Amino acid sequence: MFKKKVTLRILLLLITSDILETAIQFFFKKSALAQAEFAVFDLGSVVVFLKAVFCSPFLWAGLFTVAAVFIIWSAILSKIDLSVAVPIASFSYILVPIVSIIFLHEKITVLRWLGIFFILAGVILVSLSSKERMAEGK
Amino acid sequence: MKEGLLIILSLIALTSLCDTINQLFLKSAIDSLNFSLTFNIIKIFKFILQLLIKPRLWLGFVFSVISLCIWLLVLSKADLNFAFSADSMHYIFIALASRFILKEKITSLRWLGTGLIIVGIIFVSLS
Repeated sequence: MFKKKVTLRILLLLITSDILETAIQFFFKKSALAQAEFAVFDLGSVVVFLKAVFCSPFLWAGLFTVAAVFIIWSAILSKIDLSVAVPIASFSYILVPIVSIIFLHEKITVLRWLGIFFILAGVILVSLSSKERMAEGK
Repeated sequence: MKEGLLIILSLIALTSLCDTINQLFLKSAIDSLNFSLTFNIIKIFKFILQLLIKPRLWLGFVFSVISLCIWLLVLSKADLNFAFSADSMHYIFIALASRFILKEKITSLRWLGTGLIIVGIIFVSLS
């Protein structure tokens, strides 16, 4: 029993989840900038850092968006298979770098883009294989 | 950032690992309930309620909180585009855990996909 038919409505939901997933990472990154200087191996300064981050409204915006994405995904997966949904939803692997360039002024080399496309191809193959596995009846 | 690259990668591996452990606990809690897919709202509600009283679910939740905290540490030290790409290494852990802990059958297509992800992470880290 495969649910494959991607209607316009599901496509819109998937694009929304892509954008929200990207927003989550942007919010988390913004909240992490709340406290710039700390040492990873000093537990005291890590605690100070986490306290500052959990006081940042960006973190709570991020967590709120996580909940929204969870609900949207539940709706998507009740309509189509994971093997169809994940490849379309994986565009956040491209969207996040684009947002990083525009809003966070990060730089991305050609080699890094190449790596990103390898990861994207890998994620698509992994999700396609879930269909293969179910087709085998296991 | 170069000299800190190994530390950042280790932290990303740690957050991926915590994520995987969370997934394993979640999977184990769900499997113990023998739930079959249904659209009956009352059955779904009962299922969620039964799930919420499973200690394993909350154990998993603890790991997802730890994972979030480490993720925030990573984001404060690394570029978002790098951290997000490298975080795809949870696919590697999930594949290994599925194979060796849950004893699931991993198809060659999935191993190929996991291999591509590894190559991608190496490229992203080298740049």
